[in-house]
Amino acid sequence: MREGLAAVLTRARRRGRRDRRARGVLALCCAASGLALLLAACGPTDGPSAAGDTPVSGGTATWAESPSSQPTWIFPFAPSAYFSVANTDDFEYLMYRPLYWFGTGTKPTLNTQLSLADPPTYHGRLVTIKLKDNYRWSNGEPVDAQDVLFWIHMEQADAALSSATKPVGWGGYIPGYFPNNVKDIKAVGTYEITMVMKSSYSTAWFTGNELSQITPMPMAWDRTSTGKSDCAAVVADCTAVYDYLYGQSTDTASYATSKIWSVVDGPWRLTSFSTSGLDTFSYNTHYSGQVPAHHISKFTEVPFISEQSEYTVLQAGGSGGLSSQKLDVGYLPTVDAPPPAAGAQLGQNPLPGYHLSALYEWGLSYYPYNFRNNTYRRFVFSQLYFRKAFQHLVDQEGVINGPLHGYGKVTTGPVGNYPVTKYLSPKLRKAGDPFALSLGAARRLLTSHGWTIPASGPATCTKPGPASNECGTGIKAGDKLTFSMIYASGIDWMESAVKELVSNASLVGIDISATAEGFDTLITQVVNCTATAAANCGWQLADWGSWTYAPDYLPTGEELFQTTSVANFGGYSNARNNQLISKTLHSSGLGTLYAWQNYLAGQLPVVWTPDAPADLLETADSLHIGPQASTLAITPEDWYFLK
Amino acid sequence: MTAYLARRVLQALVVLVVVTLIVYALLTRVPGSALGAVLGPHAASGFLPRYFSWLNQVLHGNLGFSLLHNEPVSTLLAASLPRTVALTGTAVLLALIVAIPVGMLQAVNKNKLVDHVLRALTLLCYGTPSFVLGSVLILVFAVKLKWFGGEGPQAPGFVGVITDWRDLTLPVLTLALLTIALFSRYLRSSAIDSLAQDYVRTARAKGAGERRVLRRHVLRNSLLPVVTLIGLTVPQILAGAVVVESIFNFQGMGYQLWYAAENHDFPVVLGFTLVIGVGVVAGSLLADVGYALLDPRVRYAGR
Repeated sequence: MREGLAAVLTRARRRGRRDRRARGVLALCCAASGLALLLAACGPTDGPSAAGDTPVSGGTATWAESPSSQPTWIFPFAPSAYFSVANTDDFEYLMYRPLYWFGTGTKPTLNTQLSLADPPTYHGRLVTIKLKDNYRWSNGEPVDAQDVLFWIHMEQADAALSSATKPVGWGGYIPGYFPNNVKDIKAVGTYEITMVMKSSYSTAWFTGNELSQITPMPMAWDRTSTGKSDCAAVVADCTAVYDYLYGQSTDTASYATSKIWSVVDGPWRLTSFSTSGLDTFSYNTHYSGQVPAHHISKFTEVPFISEQSEYTVLQAGGSGGLSSQKLDVGYLPTVDAPPPAAGAQLGQNPLPGYHLSALYEWGLSYYPYNFRNNTYRRFVFSQLYFRKAFQHLVDQEGVINGPLHGYGKVTTGPVGNYPVTKYLSPKLRKAGDPFALSLGAARRLLTSHGWTIPASGPATCTKPGPASNECGTGIKAGDKLTFSMIYASGIDWMESAVKELVSNASLVGIDISATAEGFDTLITQVVNCTATAAANCGWQLADWGSWTYAPDYLPTGEELFQTTSVANFGGYSNARNNQLISKTLHSSGLGTLYAWQNYLAGQLPVVWTPDAPADLLETADSLHIGPQASTLAITPEDWYFLK
Repeated sequence: MTAYLARRVLQALVVLVVVTLIVYALLTRVPGSALGAVLGPHAASGFLPRYFSWLNQVLHGNLGFSLLHNEPVSTLLAASLPRTVALTGTAVLLALIVAIPVGMLQAVNKNKLVDHVLRALTLLCYGTPSFVLGSVLILVFAVKLKWFGGEGPQAPGFVGVITDWRDLTLPVLTLALLTIALFSRYLRSSAIDSLAQDYVRTARAKGAGERRVLRRHVLRNSLLPVVTLIGLTVPQILAGAVVVESIFNFQGMGYQLWYAAENHDFPVVLGFTLVIGVGVVAGSLLADVGYALLDPRVRYAGR
C-alpha cells in the first residue's frame, strides 16, 4: 500500500492547470460593465517593453508557482506525501543537486554538464560512479562518495523508517528495486563508488530509473539531535538520523535560518520561506558548477491561488504598471490562449512585453479501464475489440483543436509522443492517430461481436460466447454497455473532453455516466482497488490526468503496465507484454523498447488521451531563460536580464 | 445585566459544542479524507471517543497538524486569521462609514430623487455577486487603468495587509460595496420607522434642531438593528471573503478553508471551522450584549 501511494502521488498528475474561471461572466453585470468599458476606454494602453539584447548580471527574477501548489518540504529524501514537482524540481533541486540531472534542453535525457558525476560506467554487472571533483558544499566540504553513500544507506534503511503513524521514507522507493537490486556498494576512492547489480539490467534503465533517484547529502546532515552520527558508514545509524532530519523538515519556520538546510551544493540558498509559497533565494557564490558569465542574483517564487489570478497579475503589472508584484515568468491559461494559426506552434501572444512558449511535460496522458472491476464490465474491458471501439470514440484531434485551443499532442502509445525522443519508436512517431474518431468503426466493431445497438439506449449482448463474432468470455446475454466514469474536477478542457466522449459513446450504444471528483478523492479510489481488495473496485473508468516520468526517466513500462506493478492501476495483465517489458529492463538497445511499445500500442491497455501542455510560459522580454526542461526542473542560475 | 450575560454565554457555549459535534460528524464521513492518517491508532475507536480525544487536544491548544502545509494548524491559523481580519475588518469599517450617512440620507429624503438613485445603486451592489464585482473592478482599475494592483496584499500579517493600500483597495471595495448595500438598506428602513416615533415628534416640539434630532434621537435608535446585523453578517462576510480571496490571490482564512476542503486536509477544515464557529457565536453574543447595552428594554424583557 505504501509503495502504491508513493507511486501514485509522485507521478500521477492532474492535467493542465486548475481553477479556471469563466471570464465571460463579466457580461452579466450590465451596469458595472458599462462603467468598466467607459473607464477602460479612457485608460492607458500597454506598449511593448524596451528590453535590449545585452546580458547583464544581477537582478531579481520572479517566477509564478503553479496554482495552489507551493513548496512545503525541504529534506530531499522526501516521503511520498511531499514528493511533488513543487517540492523537488522547483525547490529542493535549486539547493541540493541530484547525482544525475535529467533534462537537456527540452529533451528528458541525461545532462552530463549539470550532473554531479560523470555518466556511470558498466562492466558486466559492476557499476562505477565517478563524481566530479570540483563540486563543493557551501561549508567548503567536497561533494564526494560519502555523500552518495549517505543517501544510499538511508534508502537501505528505508523499510525501517516507516511507522504506523508517520508517512515517511523515500517516496520513490519500490521494494525489490534500488537499492535492493544491488550489492557490494562501497566507496573505492574519495570520488568513486562501485556496486554490483544482482541482475544484468539495461544500463540505460539502471541509470535513468535507479541511479536517477540519488541526491547526495552533506556530512553536516549526518547527525541526530544529540550530535554527530555515521549513517554514511553504518546503515543501522540511519533511522535516528532520518528521524532528526524529518523533524527538522517539519519545522518550516526555520528553513531559511537552519544550520542544516543552509549547507547546499546547488546554485541557490534559501533566504526566506513561507508555506504560503512566497520564497526567496539568493545565488550561492560558492556554487562550483558552470553558470553563464551573467546571471540573476536573486530568485523569487510567488504563489497563486488560481491561474486566473496569476494571469490578472501578468496583465496588470507585466509592463511596469503599478502592481507591486511584477512577474518575470508566468503562464497563460489555456482558456485565454489564442489558437495558433495553421502550421504554427503558438498563437498570437495577448500579453505585450512577454514572449510565449509552450512547455510539454515528459510523461504519458492516459486513463485506465478497471480490469478488476467487480461487475461484468471487467469482461467487457478485456475484449480488444471493445477497447478499439472505445478508442475510436476519443476525439483527440477534436479536443486539441477545441477545448485546448490548438495546444496539445496526440498520444498513440505507452511512450509519450512529445517531446519527441529516441525512446519513441519510429513506427509510432509516424503513426498519427490510428484510432481517430470514427463512430462507424466503433459501431461496426460492436455489432460484429454480438452487440445489438437500439435506436436509443445502451447496446445489449445478444450473442454471448467466446467466438470471434460473439461478445466474449464472461459476458452474458442481456448485459448492457453501461459504464460509470470518474474524472478530476476543475480542469475545463478535460470536462469538455469527457462530455464529448459521453456524447459520442451514446451514439454507438455505450452509456457512460460521468462524475467529476476532486483529484485526491479520485486517486484514493483508484489506488484502493487492488488485486486482493475486490470490494474497493467499484470504479470502471477513471481519468485523473497523466503520468510523469520522473525520477524514473526511461519509459520502460514496468511501472505502469507490468501485471504486478502497483501503478498498473486498472490491473491490465498480458503475458506477452510482461515478457517484452522484462526484455527492456535487461537489454540496453532501443530495439526491445520499440518492440514492446509497438506491440502494446495496438493492445490499448488504457485509453490514450491528448497530451496538454504543462505550461504556456510567459517570459518577460527583459529576461532570458532559454528552453525549459520537459522534466519540469528549473535552472534560474542560467537566467539573465537583458538591457 | 450579569444574569443576562451569563445566560447568553451559556447558550453560546452549548451552540459551540453542537457546532463541533456536527462538523466533526460530517467531516469524518467524507470519503477519501485523510482521517485515518491523522488519527493513526485512534482510527479503530468509536466516534465519541475520537471526538472527545480531539476536543481534549483542542482545549489544550492543539488543533492538529496539516500534512498538506507541513505545519501545525495553529501556525496556519496564526498566519491567515490576521490577514482575513484585516481584509474583512477594513471592509466592514468602510461599509459602516459609508452606509450610515447613505441610509440616513435616504430616510430623510424618503421617496425623493436622491432616495431613488441611492436605492437603485445599493440594490445593484446588493444583487451583484462578489466574483462579478471583483472581476469588473480588476478589469477596470488594475488591468486597464493600472491604478491598483491586480491582487490582494501579499505581505504577511495584519499590518502588512492594511499598509499596502494599493493592493488592499480593490478586495476591500468588493467586500464593502456588498456590505454597504446591506447596512444602508437596513438603516434606511430603521430610520424611517424612528422618524415616525413619538419621541422624535416630542423632540421637535421641544424645539430641538433637525441635526440634533437626527443625530441624538433618530440615528441612535436606528443603529440598533445594524448592531445586530453586524454580528449576524460575520458568517456572510467570511463566506464572501472565500470568493474575494480567491479572485484577489489573497491567502486568508477563507481561501485556506476552501483549499483544505478541496484537498481533504481534515485537521485544517476542522480547526478553521471551529474558529469560524467561535467567531460567529462570539459575534452574535457581542451583538446581543451591545443591543442590551444600547436598549435597556432587552435586559428587562430577558428577566
